[in-house]
Amino acid sequence: MSATNLIARKEAGELLLSPRGLAWLTAVAVALSAFALLLVSNTELSLLDNAQVVYDMAGIVTGLGSLLGLVVGIDAVAGERERGCLVPLLLAPASRSAILLGKLGGVAIAWAVMYALSLPYLWAVGSTGQNMADGMLVCGLLGTPIVLGFGFFGMGLGCWTRSSRTALLTGIVALLVAASPLLLGPGLRQSAVGAMFDAVNPFSAAVNAYDAVIIDSQTITAQGAHILVAAAWIVLTLVFARSGFAKVTR
Amino acid sequence: MKLSAFVLAVGLLLGPHALHAAPLSIELQPAAANPAAPQMGDNLTFHSVIHNDGAGPVDGLIAWISLVQVDKGKEQPVDLEDWSAHKAVTAAALLPGKAIETDWPMRLIKAGHYRVAISAASRTGTHLTTSAFVDFTVRQKPVVESRRVLPVAFGIPLLLCVALLWRRPRRGTSSG
Repeated sequence: MSATNLIARKEAGELLLSPRGLAWLTAVAVALSAFALLLVSNTELSLLDNAQVVYDMAGIVTGLGSLLGLVVGIDAVAGERERGCLVPLLLAPASRSAILLGKLGGVAIAWAVMYALSLPYLWAVGSTGQNMADGMLVCGLLGTPIVLGFGFFGMGLGCWTRSSRTALLTGIVALLVAASPLLLGPGLRQSAVGAMFDAVNPFSAAVNAYDAVIIDSQTITAQGAHILVAAAWIVLTLVFARSGFAKVTR
Repeated sequence: MKLSAFVLAVGLLLGPHALHAAPLSIELQPAAANPAAPQMGDNLTFHSVIHNDGAGPVDGLIAWISLVQVDKGKEQPVDLEDWSAHKAVTAAALLPGKAIETDWPMRLIKAGHYRVAISAASRTGTHLTTSAFVDFTVRQKPVVESRRVLPVAFGIPLLLCVALLWRRPRRGTSSG
């Protein structure tokens, strides 16, 4: 087995089998459950259109996934460094790029688990309405580059900052700003500044694609502009993570 | 004398409207395939025909759909953001005697009594042209069902808690 696979499996094992990782997944599941229960317990919310509910749930899944990716990404470098595990790992007979790829694989597996966890929730709130399958698909297609991008961004922050606490604080602030379209909705686009922010924000790209596919019944293939922004985000964050990792291992 | 004064007065009253009357007329009909008693989540389509009844072309034509809620105490214009992605149609010019036919799809988001209309304006016309209203009622439908949500909302965190508790003793045993 290659060093990359070995490291990715170790990272994934920590998420799936360690109490710390399971606690994280439980917290994510509790958050999704809280939203689902809010929908059925509140008369007004329970009458929301199915597509609207799937759209909201897809946005929350992407937001929580980004938070999970960010924390896993920061922990992969800054956490390891603070626990004293990074230097022994760098001394292992594996290339730097293999170690980096393994760490990135860990973030990808964390998102895959989180996405799989969200599917029953999407089904529970949206199975009687339109576009549920398309909603699941677009959430995977657009959510993946966004979440992985935040994971890589977290790795980069972990490399470039001195402590994991600083990296976490910076990452959460960046995530809150990026995820503001979830709170502000389409009203954000009504000002010139908001429209500009909306055009370059990867989180907006994902949310707007969810809106177009789930609510407006557009095809996924028509979301090229949104997919392009998401792809640019993952490439930029990958470069950020790579350069940060190169600095740490120098 | 009195008759001619009356005709003059009527002419003065109607004159400005007659001089600037928009040459457009709009017919609006619900599609035959629309459900008889629509409920939330259903799709409706409205078919409009915009005619140019004038003698000259109408340049820079824009037509748009408007929706108002007319329930008592909830009278308001409706933001079509989630209702329809097809909110307007434009034409560079509409020649005399010609017509533009448009289908306006709409997905029903919220229960209530509604009136829909199509309006049209041109680059130089002084008046707005509107169709007659088409009324419809949207019935309520609970869309998030507790019998599907509750097992998932309680089951998944419970399973993860069981996995969490199962992992703790095993780690303790192996290390101790």
